Parts: sequence; structure tokens; C-alpha cells
Amino acid sequence: MSTQTESPSIALDYVKTIGIVNNGFNGRGFANPYDIVVDGGGRIFVLNRCDPLRASAIRVGVCTLDEEYLNEFGRGNGAGDGQFVWPVAMAVDSQNRLHITDEYNHRVTLYSMSGDYLYHWGTAGSGNGELSGPAGIAIDASDNVFVVDQHNARVQKFSADGKFITTWGSFGQGDGQFNLPWGAAVDGEGNVYVADWRNDRIQKFTNDGEFLAVYGETGGGEGQFQRPTGVAVDSDGFIYVADWGNERVQVLGPDGSFRLILRGEATVSKWAEDYFASNPEEKAERDISNLIPTLPGHLNTPYHVSSQTEPYFWGPVSVSLDREGRLYVAETNRHRFQVYQKR
Amino acid sequence: MTSNDTALMAHLLRRAGFGANRDELERYLGMGYDDAVETLLNPSDPANIPDDLIRRYHVEQSELRDLPGSAAYWMYRMISTTCPSEEKIALFWHGLFATGYTKLNQARALLDQVDMFRRSGLGSFEVLLLELSRDPAMMLWLDNNENHRDSMNENFGRELLELFSMGIGNYTEDDVKACARAFTGWTLGNAEYMAVRAFKDSIWPYGRIAWHFEYREDDHDDGEKTFLGETGNFNGEEIIAIIVKQESTARFLATRLFQFFGADEVTEAGEKVIDEMMATYFSSGYQIRDMLRTLFHSGFFKSDEARFARVKGPVEMVVGAIRMSGNYQTPFLGIENVSRTMLYMGQGLLQPPTVEGWHEGVEWIDSGALVERVNFAAKELSNVSSPGVRSIIERLAASSEDGVLAPSDLADGCLDLLGPIQVSEETRSILVDYASRHGDLDLNGHQPGDEAEQQVGNMLRLVAATKEYQLA
Repeated sequence: MSTQTESPSIALDYVKTIGIVNNGFNGRGFANPYDIVVDGGGRIFVLNRCDPLRASAIRVGVCTLDEEYLNEFGRGNGAGDGQFVWPVAMAVDSQNRLHITDEYNHRVTLYSMSGDYLYHWGTAGSGNGELSGPAGIAIDASDNVFVVDQHNARVQKFSADGKFITTWGSFGQGDGQFNLPWGAAVDGEGNVYVADWRNDRIQKFTNDGEFLAVYGETGGGEGQFQRPTGVAVDSDGFIYVADWGNERVQVLGPDGSFRLILRGEATVSKWAEDYFASNPEEKAERDISNLIPTLPGHLNTPYHVSSQTEPYFWGPVSVSLDREGRLYVAETNRHRFQVYQKR
Repeated sequence: MTSNDTALMAHLLRRAGFGANRDELERYLGMGYDDAVETLLNPSDPANIPDDLIRRYHVEQSELRDLPGSAAYWMYRMISTTCPSEEKIALFWHGLFATGYTKLNQARALLDQVDMFRRSGLGSFEVLLLELSRDPAMMLWLDNNENHRDSMNENFGRELLELFSMGIGNYTEDDVKACARAFTGWTLGNAEYMAVRAFKDSIWPYGRIAWHFEYREDDHDDGEKTFLGETGNFNGEEIIAIIVKQESTARFLATRLFQFFGADEVTEAGEKVIDEMMATYFSSGYQIRDMLRTLFHSGFFKSDEARFARVKGPVEMVVGAIRMSGNYQTPFLGIENVSRTMLYMGQGLLQPPTVEGWHEGVEWIDSGALVERVNFAAKELSNVSSPGVRSIIERLAASSEDGVLAPSDLADGCLDLLGPIQVSEETRSILVDYASRHGDLDLNGHQPGDEAEQQVGNMLRLVAATKEYQLA
């Protein structure tokens, strides 16, 4: 199945769904994916947040667009070297190092793309260079690292090896202020975008933190957001937003104007096909079911609808782009990601 | 307000809620008893930890795939709500209309059911039974998805009469069959697929798919039925309308409400209150809220006989202790361990042992459960870094003009601020003797965690270990 979603200036074609729930401690599948990075060779790195029952297996899983599961790495749950408690987001620098934030351990951990632990940096606090609940992370072409310091309501800019450069932001609702910000992105000009989560908006800054623009407001309409978690910007300046509370993705134009909405249209992944091949009785019942049901009124919220409607996004927590114009939407609650291709 | 007013208000808040810290108690005292009852019976606009915050940090409580995270999600709500009566009534119905994770393998549906209890748990019993009959978790729990026009399954119909309304001995086997026939076609959406997934505990390929009610008219037996002496082409709605008219239903409901909110044992005085609640049931058009109003305003409820006449259920005990300590007011790693602790005490949220719910009263207490209960409460209430305990220390310090408390002042102060809790003279003398080992307590210039504060923590630990603390 391939559908098309387009506005006058941008069109996205649904490509496929990759994933299956993994309730174990290793192997194919995902466990509450929180972020995705795609490297230059097309390898897809998926950060598994993992729930407490599976926290000992917090890891990054690696697969391809052809749904080949390549490998995984991580050192599990804790505060030791290479370990995580509440990992949030990833970014890659020019040296092919994966930077991973941990909002519980208040630090950034670096792994090589082949899965070797390198080191971590960051200490808890509110002073310059200190972190309190680091969430989103983005790296510009000069390897400056931007960390969304959520509980300090600010963004901090570091060098590639973690040296503090500058910071901006404070708690509030005004321009340049934040309320539990989450995701971050950098565009081709080095401008920084922040998903200002609890203010239901996206803010845009220069590379040094000068406020440029704000997009969106609270709501469920076009161009409105409900707790946006992730943001990405493509080479044409289109802004992709994981509109988490509305269980959808929105695309804005370079000027922040609304362009289109994705609700999700997941299909059966290759790994899911394998499951159903071994469970034909379940498949038979599924085939005669209506997976996009009409619900009673009291369940008519985005969260409930998505919990009942398997093809729709449920917990779309991050939006990631590759060099081929593909969009990857990680769905925490569905243990998969959906892929779209920009036309 | 006299101290008796304070004790009565604390009693009301233990029953209609989970007990109260002193700030909360004083807010209700400011209203007066009558207004407090109305506030508790008309919960509105509750504030609690917002869902978005819970979902952000606890992925397991966003997905609600497994039991521990789902139980923890409800724990957050009970711990942080500003309308504890809403959660208490939901807990009551969760025990009475006991639906469990085992068999369903679907915690989301159970939490949707709890939401329904919040929504309808204080209103009309007729509406509540209708909502229960449309609840997808209940449908699968009692096999109504297998109750077809041409192939009846009596399970839900039977329990609706036996366990959820009239009680055994008040209907015939023919009534059970007629009841079951009326509920044919009442099922959940994609029932066959969902039943397979539930049976296999399948989470594949993409996690759980939540449930919703579906009425299948083509699977409904629309034929004539005779139920409790009335004849017609009854559907479920008409059956419930007949059920709620029965005196046995009124007695069942009044008794169960009395035993949960009034006293474990029904004495002669209690019987009179139950009769009054039954009268209210009919005069109010089956309103649960009105029945509880009758109970809370009864002489029995306000008397000494009703005070500490219930053994706290594990959930009440744990939630009450945490609300007192002030912990877990924001998402915090470890909340799932708290809900697991309640399971060790004999009451796992969302997992009642059978459709009959939990055996309450003194049956909560066996040696293993008692150790768990005492250990939990003692640990929770003796941590002087907890915000609620810090508040108690500040109040104790302010209670003495010179900041110095005699041993009896320390014991009485802690008993007062954790309740007030009424204890026997023997228990009180043990507490005072313990405090006397350290002499007078000087709280002047006390610092977080210093020896003086630890002495308060130790006294709170001892109070939490008393028999009386286990009672509501």
C-alpha cells in the first residue's frame, strides 16, 4: 500500500512500516523507541527507551530500510559507563559519533556507530554547562552540540567534546522562554529549532541563541500543537514536527505556515509478516477485523483513538530525516517506525 | 471547632478518601461537616499529576501494556488527586465489580473501566449497571463475547444478578437465562480477534489494541422473555430497569456501601443505617451519592462505634501513607515498586483474585501482610526528608511556645498529626516511654535530618507500627 499526502508545496508518500514489539532483552524488534538516526550508509539506529521491566536491556538497535536487523549495542540500565536510565534522543557528529542524552543521569553519552562506548560528559546542576534532564540534542555542521536542558528551561551550546559555549532561555511563555522543552534540530544555515513541549510550540533561534520566530499554539487544528516532542528540518527548510499529544506529524513550510498533517498508516512490517506466518489463526481473525473502528464518544481523544487504531501513530515521539528525503516517525507505544518519502 | 470536630472530619476523610494531612484536614474543617460531605460527594475538576507528564517520563504508563505500569498509573492518580473521594469510589467499584488482568491481558481496558467508575460511580445505579454491561473489559471477563443469539453463555447474566446486584436466592434459573438472552449481542469491537489476542496474551505485532463496546443487533435474541415476573421482548436496558427496582438490589447495594464506607461488621445500629440507605435508594431514583449522604450524616457514622471500625485495605493504607508523606507528587522512578508492594499485602490493583473481589476486613491481616504493611508505613512516614514529614516537624515545633516538647507532647503530637489517631492507653504509654528515653525534644534551630528531626521520624515510625494505624 502506498498513499500520498501533499500540499501545494510538499508531498510525502508513505513507504513502509518497520518494527515489531520486542518484549525480551535482545534481538529483532524494538522496545519503546524514542529516537532514530540514519547514517550516510542508510543504517537506521533506533534508540530503545525500554520500560522498567526491560530496562536492563536499554539499547540502540540497528537495521536497514530493507528490514534487515543488523545488530544492537548498549550496556543496559544504570549510571555506569555506557549505561542509561531514561535515554531520550540521539545525534551524530562529523566524526560519526553518536551522542545520546539521558534525562535521568543528566549527561550525554557517546558511542561509535559500530557500538563501542566512548565516554560520557555532563553533571547535574543549573550552572553553565551543567544539565538537568537533557532531552533533545542536535549537532550543526561545525560540530557544535545543542542540548535541550529541560528542567533548566534552556538550550545549551557545547563544543563536540562537551565544552560549554553559551546558553539561552528561561522558564516562561514569552519569546525565547521554555516550559519543559524536548526535541531540537538544526537547519542548513545553522539555525536551531526547539520543540517547546509544554508551551505547545516550536521556537527558532540563530546558532547563538538569538530568538527568530515562534510557530504554533495550543490546540488540535492545523498548525496547532499538543505537546510537540520532536522537530526536524529538511534541506528545503520544511519543518517536521512530532505533534505527540495530537498523535500526528505536522509539516510546516520554511516560514512556519501549515502545510500538511500525517496521521499514520502503518502496514504489516516484514517482521510482523513473519509473526503472522507462524500464527495463522490470529492472522485469520485479524483479516476480518476492522482496524480503523468507529469509537464511542468518551473515547474520542487522539490518545484513545490511537490506542484503538493500530495503523495510526501512537506516541509519535520523534521525526528524523535521511539524506534521501525520507522521513522516519518513531512510535513509542507501537514499537515501530513509519517511513515516508518526500517527492 | 472542637477536637471532636477534628476527629470526626478526619474520620470522614479516611472513609470518603484516604485520610488527610493536616493542611487538607484544616481546609475541610473550614467548610464545616455538611459542606465537606457535599464536596466529597460531588468531586469536580480534580487536579492530579497531569497525564502528559506521566506519559513523558514513564513510557510504560503511556503504553499501558503490562500490569505493573498500569497499576502504577492509577497509583499516581490516587496519590496526587485533589478529589480523593473520586478515586475511593472507583476503588470501591473495582472491588465489587471485580475485573482482573488475568484472562484479559489488557490493562488499558481495565483503566478505561476505572475511568467509567469515576464518571458514573456516584450517580444512578441503573446507569452504572448499564455502563458496566457495556464495558468491554467486563464483556470479555465474563464471556459475554461468547453470548450469542443461537448459543447462549450465561456467565455475565448470572453474575450480574448474583454478584453485582440482587444476590443469590432472589431469582430463579429461568431468570438467569432470560437475563443472559437479553444481553446477547453485547460485545466488544473486533471481538473474535481481541479474544484470540487475549487468550494468547498476544502483544504482536505492535503492542496491545485497546477495546471498545459494540452492539451487534444481528446477534441479539429479540424474542420474548419473562424476567422476575415481567414479560416482554427485553433487551439489556429493560432487564437492568427491572433489576434496580428490586428491594434485594437496594439491600445488596446499601450493605456493600456500608461495609466499605461505614464499618466492616454490620451491627444492629448498622442495620438501621442500611435500612435508611435503602429508603434513600428508592426515594432518590437509585442515586449512589444520596445513599452515601445518608450514611455520612447518620448518627451511627458520627458515633464512636464507627470510628476505626474498618481495617484499611492495602491500597487505602499505602495511598494514605504516601499522601501523608507527600512523596510521588511528580513522576518518579520507582512508583511501580509501590504498586507491587500492595500486591504483597494482598491487594494488587487491577488484579482482584476472582470475580468476587477481595475478602476484606480482618482478612486483610495475616502475619505476612501485616509485616509488609507495618514496614511500608513505618518507612514512608519516618523519612524526615519527605515533604509531608517535614510539615509535621514544623507543626510540632510550632506547637510549643519554647520549641521544646515533653515526651508525652511528642507522642500526642504525632498521633494527632497523623490522624488524629485514637490509641489505647497501653499503646500511648509505650509511645511516651519510648520518647522518654531521649528526654525532652528540643526542636529549636532544627536542621533537615538532624538528631532532633530523627527523633520525630522515629516516633512517627512507631505510630505507623501501632495496631490503630492499620484501622480506618
